Amino acid sequence: MEMIKAQDLSYEYIRVTELEQGTKEEKILALNHVNLEIEKGSFVAVLGHNGSGKSTFAKHINALVRPTDGVLWVNGYDTKHEELIWEIRQSAGMVFQNPDNQLVATVVEEDIAFGPENMGVAPTEIRKRVDEALKAVGMYEYKEHTPSKLSGGQKQRIAIAGVLAMKPKCIVFDEPTAMLDPMGRKDVMDTILRLNREEGMTIVLITHYMDEAVLADKVFVIDDGNMVLEGTPKEVFAQVEKLKSYGLDVPQVTETAYELKKLGISIAEDILTVEEMVGAICQLKSTI
Amino acid sequence: MIRDITIGQYYPQHSPIHKIDARVKILITFLFIITLFFVNTFTGYAFVIVCLTAVIRASKVPLKFMLKGIKGIFIIIVFTAFINVFMTKGEHTLFQWGVFTVTLEGILLAIKMCVRLILLIIGSSLLTLTTTPIQLTDGMEYLLRPFKKIGVPAHEIAMMMTIALRFIPTLLDETDKIMKAQQARGADFDTGNLIQRAKSLIPILVPLFISAFRRADELAMAMEARCYHGDENRTRMNVMVLKTSDYRTIILLVIYCAAIFLLRFAAAQFSFIW
Amino acid sequence: MSIKINHLTYIYNMGTIFEKKALDDVTIEIQKGEFVGLIGHTGSGKSTLIQHLNGTISPTMGEILLDGENIHKDKTKLKQVRQRIGLAFQYPEHQLFEMTVYKDVAFGPNNMKLSEEEVDKRVKEALQTVGLPETVYEKSPFELSEGQKRRVAIAGVLAMNPEVLILDEPTAGLDPKGRDEILYAIKQLHKQRGITVVLVSHSMEDVAKLVDRLIVMHRGKVAMTGTPREVFAHAEQLEEMGLAIPQISYVLRQLRKKGYCLPEDIYTVEEAVKALYAFVKKGEEV
Repeated sequence: MEMIKAQDLSYEYIRVTELEQGTKEEKILALNHVNLEIEKGSFVAVLGHNGSGKSTFAKHINALVRPTDGVLWVNGYDTKHEELIWEIRQSAGMVFQNPDNQLVATVVEEDIAFGPENMGVAPTEIRKRVDEALKAVGMYEYKEHTPSKLSGGQKQRIAIAGVLAMKPKCIVFDEPTAMLDPMGRKDVMDTILRLNREEGMTIVLITHYMDEAVLADKVFVIDDGNMVLEGTPKEVFAQVEKLKSYGLDVPQVTETAYELKKLGISIAEDILTVEEMVGAICQLKSTI
Repeated sequence: MIRDITIGQYYPQHSPIHKIDARVKILITFLFIITLFFVNTFTGYAFVIVCLTAVIRASKVPLKFMLKGIKGIFIIIVFTAFINVFMTKGEHTLFQWGVFTVTLEGILLAIKMCVRLILLIIGSSLLTLTTTPIQLTDGMEYLLRPFKKIGVPAHEIAMMMTIALRFIPTLLDETDKIMKAQQARGADFDTGNLIQRAKSLIPILVPLFISAFRRADELAMAMEARCYHGDENRTRMNVMVLKTSDYRTIILLVIYCAAIFLLRFAAAQFSFIW
Repeated sequence: MSIKINHLTYIYNMGTIFEKKALDDVTIEIQKGEFVGLIGHTGSGKSTLIQHLNGTISPTMGEILLDGENIHKDKTKLKQVRQRIGLAFQYPEHQLFEMTVYKDVAFGPNNMKLSEEEVDKRVKEALQTVGLPETVYEKSPFELSEGQKRRVAIAGVLAMNPEVLILDEPTAGLDPKGRDEILYAIKQLHKQRGITVVLVSHSMEDVAKLVDRLIVMHRGKVAMTGTPREVFAHAEQLEEMGLAIPQISYVLRQLRKKGYCLPEDIYTVEEAVKALYAFVKKGEEV
């Protein structure tokens, strides 16, 4: 069954720019008839450069933005219906880019309690959920700390715990690692992978880092509001030229394989990891 | 520099004062401030000082830490003293210098006012030093709840305070970074006259405000995403319950207030100013 | 101009329980015209180090010599030091404040009390160097894309004509397009102006392509220094410090471990393609 389904999902807004003579209004199509399905329990990456419309898509899943045309179902709920808004937000949690701007309270455990408190969960149950969520992201010993003293990666894990405590079926990550250093990025990615593999959480990861997208079950590429590529990481990353034209990177090994192929060497195009590359070269050597 | 301000800071410690229910502590502080204005004799002040010293001792917060808070308002204290010394008319003129007359009454009043001010600061900083911001806002929300009927937005006030406390360190940090970035471009905040100095703040304030607005925008969205919709049907993880020790504290508070009124009454009865 | 850092030690919050040694006996020399990469993870001391170079913090112990003169010897000259050693911080949001791009870049030179013509010349030169077209000069800096904002911020420092330009994580958080724009601009300005550039980063891939020399910081100390080739040869040590060498270097290393004869000092895709192509072709010919 699908967790998220979009049918001709479109979002249009009017941008007003101030000019020397009055203002100029232009219609911007941030999402253009997007169709996609995300299976329950899967890990999906949505790639695109800044301003491609990928963040707008993420906000649709949480009903922070509603489609101007087409339909988006989240856990079976149509996001157009105003009265379903709390059900939708409980089904699909959201983690944002800036770790500082999503923590509300001055104590870690109070912040994690924020979501369940809003949902009207009983106090004893909140306590239980907060502890579970903190353990799930490996931050239990920090429960009495103040968020402003934590590192970026730790704050982001607190934000994840805050969403987990709401017991969602799906979590949308809107560029969760863009502001982190390599260690923080690794911590957050490990947590995301564990949630998907061990807890069966549906994950939608919005990113522009190809090394994160490689880990997903399925990759969607958005460019200027259009869904331009979709498939497994291998299928998507094999299209090196296309990805580059969308302002995206490919892993160094994939690019090397692609270049070698262009030079006439018979090497697979869908190489994503160091191991695969080493294997492919060894095979080339042994067949000669 | 900005970090020296102790008002609003929390000092983690295990003490009987820390354990008192936040609502009771807010009530104590509120009454402490009010009763302070009833005290008009040195005997009264001595009594207040003795009581406050006992509480400070019990709180295990170093006195040095609290006195640091006074440093920030030192100018206000000096100003208060100055006004009282020169502006009070009295019978016992000590000396006269132009339009300024210094009287014995003036000096006594100045001392009293300064003591009152210092006690006020220490007393209220004791509240924030021994109560976590979260408990403090929760307590406020609880105490303001009865006033909701007359339109006091108790929950909203508490939420605003929480968010403010949460973002103060973040914004201080950011101010520091902005100052360094502008200094690297040759900005000068320390020299020049008043207008030049005020002008030199623009390169700091503009980025700071823009960032604060962006943060507010993002935070609002993040709160909405976590189902925030005011205090309707909202529960709390920590429910506040008064303990036996809290009732004991309330009894002590009543005795304290009674003592203050008694002293005031005695002073009026026997008309002594000491 | 050369910068010499002699036995620099810096301790945060000295005398309190929060005391922390951020820099521990650091000695570095940077030559005129060099392009240096400063690498290390968060907390390695690299940010503290660059703030010292700019004189925004003063050392607990040790000294920083600019052309042989201690920068803290004469406090009144500190402003001059800041102008000679330009520091561009990570987030442009921390410094952009004017109504137009042009005015914002002019902030630095105006602070130096230069003549109007000189300011105009410098602003235009700086904006050209970072590759911003004239059409954006009168735009508000807040309307620009993230990559453009960062270039405006860099131009703002460049317009002060520094002899050394320090860039603190100029590419962090940018998408590939924005990142390539910035790196290209930095490469250009080093080539055109011949000034000394210090690039602070934790992205090995970015740095490997650009710099002459790498300085690796770890726990407040200089852990390694040398050309990218020399530094990347110590992959295990770098990993222990929480740093990684470019992905493609791992492929070559693993192939070498398997006994294949391949060069070990490869860290860009172009070099790898060349080496692997030659390697595979050589087998075919035999």
